[in-house]
Amino acid sequence: MLEISIEKKLGNFKLQSNFKSDTGVLGILGSSGCGKSMTLKCISGLQVPDKGFVRLNGKDLFDSEKNVNVSPRKRNIGYVFQNYALFPHLNVYHNILYGVQRLDKAKRHDKVMEMINKVQLDGYEKHYPSQLSGGQQQRVALARTLITEPELLLLDEPFSALDSQVKFMLENELLGVLKKNYEGIVLLVTHNIEEAYRLCDRILIMDNGKSLQLCTKDEIINHPTSLEAASISGCKNFFEVEVIDEGDEFLRITSKDLVLRTNKNTSDYQPRMLAGIRAHHMHLSPYYIDKTNSFECKIVDKVEGVFLTTVIVNCMGSTLLVEVPKDDYINIINTNSPKFWIELPGEKIFLMKINK
Amino acid sequence: MDNLNLFPLYLSLRVAFTATLIGFICGLPIAYYLCRKQGRFSDFIDTLTNLPVVLPPTVLGYYLLVLLGRQSWLGKLLEERFDIMLVFTPTGAIIAATVVSIPYLIRAAKAALSEINEDYLNAARLLGRGELNIFVTIMIPIAWRGIVSGVTMSFARALGDFGATLMVAGSIPYKTLTMPIAIYNSLLAGDYKMANFLALIMTSVAVLVLYIVNRLEKKMKKG
Repeated sequence: MLEISIEKKLGNFKLQSNFKSDTGVLGILGSSGCGKSMTLKCISGLQVPDKGFVRLNGKDLFDSEKNVNVSPRKRNIGYVFQNYALFPHLNVYHNILYGVQRLDKAKRHDKVMEMINKVQLDGYEKHYPSQLSGGQQQRVALARTLITEPELLLLDEPFSALDSQVKFMLENELLGVLKKNYEGIVLLVTHNIEEAYRLCDRILIMDNGKSLQLCTKDEIINHPTSLEAASISGCKNFFEVEVIDEGDEFLRITSKDLVLRTNKNTSDYQPRMLAGIRAHHMHLSPYYIDKTNSFECKIVDKVEGVFLTTVIVNCMGSTLLVEVPKDDYINIINTNSPKFWIELPGEKIFLMKINK
Repeated sequence: MDNLNLFPLYLSLRVAFTATLIGFICGLPIAYYLCRKQGRFSDFIDTLTNLPVVLPPTVLGYYLLVLLGRQSWLGKLLEERFDIMLVFTPTGAIIAATVVSIPYLIRAAKAALSEINEDYLNAARLLGRGELNIFVTIMIPIAWRGIVSGVTMSFARALGDFGATLMVAGSIPYKTLTMPIAIYNSLLAGDYKMANFLALIMTSVAVLVLYIVNRLEKKMKKG
């Protein structure tokens, strides 16, 4: 179990991070400069927080009140840096050996060879980091830290240094290596919601130095609790709404001329709230949709992506971004329909408090 | 060429090698200190170690003479307690050469050490190594080109020193007469053969040093 609650000021920036994590992969998601990497640095001891504590499996690693600050080399924490930080003057074998040099010769040789085998780098022992591909470098970095049997593994943007076409394969590989060889706590920093969703069990959202929400990855998609959390997790549609009616399982809300029915998912309602819906959760059709929350709308503009087309529609005075598979969009347009309809499924609308 | 006296060449090489070695042993820790710490004291040390570059060698030699001479506190102590005399000895020449040459080594080593990506050092820390261990196993191997380039420069400077050496060690034939001073003396005596020969040696060394430094710096940029 990792528990942290830290504060650190750096110029105008203030980091306030507090969360708990058990075994499994916790993704720390946030835009660049939000303090994700700084959080990892504070946990590992490379940066010293101003206040607070860092506790790992019951041991105090840092505690400003008890005046405890364990040096990084004694924290038993594994860290994979963004650019992997492989020692350029050492070959693969010696890079991996670096953390276990204190063991006796025969034992450490066996350990290194076993580790090289586990990360599928047999035959690369004598290669230098500059001779390896990005994915291989990543596996060396992982092997180098896993061989020290860390209690906590920190991965700082492990895929940002890689080409996008190999990323997907490597994500799978990394997950495989981790699941097979590591049972401790993993923190993975990323700014990419897709990456976080694919790799992590749970997600912590950070914004502007603060940890906002920690929950399972499905919760973050379906029920983000704040505007920041929702937009960091990729939501594009927000509107301020008034709650006008309340049923047993539903709420009726209104925004401008739009009147919507939504599922009740939190108990804490205020008269004015912020509603959000993800662009791919809405349906666009050239025909009348006979469902609740369906409205006539106008197509204002479109932005073509690789596989999805983002359609900007005006619906009763509100602008909405709808994502439609490219082919579907072509089919919709080819009907030459003078009118379009849009459905905002009630169960996909989430309500958040308005931050003041 | 029978009357060619090679003692100055031999002495100069001995002085330069020894001065470079001492400079390396003392300069590297100073460079390490300067690249790790930032503050008023390290700024002061930085300025102090760069002073010999700016100060005229004769002035520097004069200060050394005042500091180490037989009248000074240190000179007296060394002479009375240990029977060591520094001025007008080869040791004095070595001290003068060390002081004039060490800034080049410190400067190059400091630049090379501070260029090292902090992540390498952090990775090593998290893999359980102490700072001194990291200095030896990571920093020196990564920065070796810059360090060697500094060593080469400081060797060249030590080999070529005239003013400071003359002030501290004098120009006693077969004792403290180094090559640059010998060139001067040969010219004064009208011995052009000797002057040309020594000048040629000095020039070759200088060209070789520049070549080595350039090669290393190019490679450093390539990484």
